[in-house]
Amino acid sequence: MELTICHLYPDLLNVYGDVGNVLILKHRAALRGIDVNIINCSLGENIDKVNVDIIFFGGGQDYEQSIVSKDLKEIKGEALTDYIEDGKVLLSICGGYQLLGKYYTAPNGEKIDGLGILDLYTEGGDTRFIGNTEIFNETFNETYVGFENHSGKTYINNHTPLGKCIHGYGNNGEDGLEGCIYKNTFGSYFHGSFLSKNPEFADRLLTLALQKKYGQDVQLGSLNDDFELSAKKSMLERLK
Amino acid sequence: MSKINIKSILSILSSKFTAFLAKHIVKGGSNFPGKIALKIDKSILKTVSKGYKVILVTGTNGKTTTTSMIYNILKESKFNVITNNTGANLYTGIVACFISNYSFFKRQENPYAIIEVDEANVKFITEYLTPEIITVTNLFRDQLDRYGEVYTTLVKILEGITKVPGSKLVLNGDESLLGRLDVKNPVVYYGFNTPIKENASLDLNADAKFCKFCKSPYSYELVTYNHLGSFYCPECGYKRSELDYAVNTIFDLTAENSSVLINDTEVFISQSGAYNIYNGLCAFAISKELGIEDSVIKTSLQNQSSSFGRQEQITIDNKDIQIILVKNPAGYNQALDTLALNKNEFSAAFMLNDNYADGRDVSWIWDVDFEKISTLNIEDVFVSGIRMYDMAVRLKIAGLDVNRFILEEDYEELTNKIKNSVSKKVYILATYTAMINYRKYLHSKGYINKLW
Repeated sequence: MELTICHLYPDLLNVYGDVGNVLILKHRAALRGIDVNIINCSLGENIDKVNVDIIFFGGGQDYEQSIVSKDLKEIKGEALTDYIEDGKVLLSICGGYQLLGKYYTAPNGEKIDGLGILDLYTEGGDTRFIGNTEIFNETFNETYVGFENHSGKTYINNHTPLGKCIHGYGNNGEDGLEGCIYKNTFGSYFHGSFLSKNPEFADRLLTLALQKKYGQDVQLGSLNDDFELSAKKSMLERLK
Repeated sequence: MSKINIKSILSILSSKFTAFLAKHIVKGGSNFPGKIALKIDKSILKTVSKGYKVILVTGTNGKTTTTSMIYNILKESKFNVITNNTGANLYTGIVACFISNYSFFKRQENPYAIIEVDEANVKFITEYLTPEIITVTNLFRDQLDRYGEVYTTLVKILEGITKVPGSKLVLNGDESLLGRLDVKNPVVYYGFNTPIKENASLDLNADAKFCKFCKSPYSYELVTYNHLGSFYCPECGYKRSELDYAVNTIFDLTAENSSVLINDTEVFISQSGAYNIYNGLCAFAISKELGIEDSVIKTSLQNQSSSFGRQEQITIDNKDIQIILVKNPAGYNQALDTLALNKNEFSAAFMLNDNYADGRDVSWIWDVDFEKISTLNIEDVFVSGIRMYDMAVRLKIAGLDVNRFILEEDYEELTNKIKNSVSKKVYILATYTAMINYRKYLHSKGYINKLW
């Protein structure tokens, strides 16, 4: 089997180690004997919506994000919309998550347009939500941990959240929800990298992508996740 | 005794007393005496820094080593010179440094103070004194949970600089963020006219790659490391400033040291790594601006020993231990390059903490290119610190051999395991509080004589 992972704007949206998510997906797929291609897709390049199986869309500094916003609208908007509506797999973190929504306002008041694929928006806030975070997803019956660091407050309207906050602020510090799920597109504020302490979620993304490509009966064998799960466990202990 | 008001006297005495207690009773704590002093007299810095010619050293990486280099050169030149060389670089620590050197009775002649200052604290210092020189080493992403981003960090430094238009700026010209600043100060630039590795190109993950004026991507005539080098913007024409001090040739760069040509002077730098050439170059530029002779600068840089936890070499039983402080991706990558220069067998310990001074978010380890050491023959891979499991995951994904991992959080156990390592040479790469705490442990066991 083969998977193609597309990393959006790796040269611009490259803060907080979110690139780790791509490295982890690749590592876990390779251990299962799956060939992985990684494609970098930056300014001026369109997304190959047919051949790409997983898109990773990270966050950047505000300066870089304003550069991205323009390119996103002009070049990639249509292909990305089709890709998401087709139910293909996408993981977006922080700034990438915000840009899939209608708009976000930067701390300096600048309103930056998003693609509006997700029915959500982000308002600039006065306080920065910083810290280790724990959420629980009832549908999957899984607990995720990560580190959030954002001043934007995101409101997801009728979308499903990625989880309910057990510790931390989540999307906006008000409604107790973190992240967003729409079809097979996932948005979150979790850094860490997100997948580094949540291997079950990494495998969920890989499985979804493989099933989309090769059919529903694809299953992944288990791996030795002692380090990952110990990292999660020690964080959960600390948050108690 | 010169004229000084009662509040200042009280402030100084209380601070000195606290410092005495801190040093002899509780061991350590470089900021507390300064806090006490400021509580009593808000403008105490003005009083205690009077008469000093101050050189402020700020920037993301290289502050401590550069400060120490300048200090040693001035000392070699027989100046009266003080410095806050313990890494206490916040406002309170700097106040404490001046107070501990303050005497009610005698004045030193023509004294200098070489002060390392945290980027966000420059403005507190320049509120009360006008430095002779302010130098900015570089701006990399560092502990983003504290300052936001490199652009924010630059704004904070500039807030401090605009208060003192008379101070001379000695800036890293290879740092695109520091070019063509909107300030009145006289500016001197230093940088490289030669690459460190042939055909080095910009790393995908480098910082500040887009023109600060028009947002177009920069082109480079040469890249030294990360985003440093001779940049220009093909769109708007913004480019690196003319260099007043330049590394023109690198004769040699090994795991131990380097020798380079700065302008027309051959300089031997006794610490390894490209970043230490930058530090040496910065110290060279400042010394020349102060009118110090080449021969003195050369002698001093040649004999420079490592500062506190910066490539510090110690011996534990028969092991040669080298402690390298790692604080952010740019510095960590440089440290890994140093390891890669070592052609012999060795082991390495990776210590990751997430206290405030380390940065509470450990995500940044994913921006470090550990993949490049996966092909080295590292015998034992020790993993320690509060976040050792996060570090273990990172090293595993980077492709290091999990069978060689030794995870140990307890310092005593860790030390025993290091003693039993098969290799003679062990590098310890530690984040700030991991370095501080482990050094404290080693000091308590007698492996290090001097704690600070």
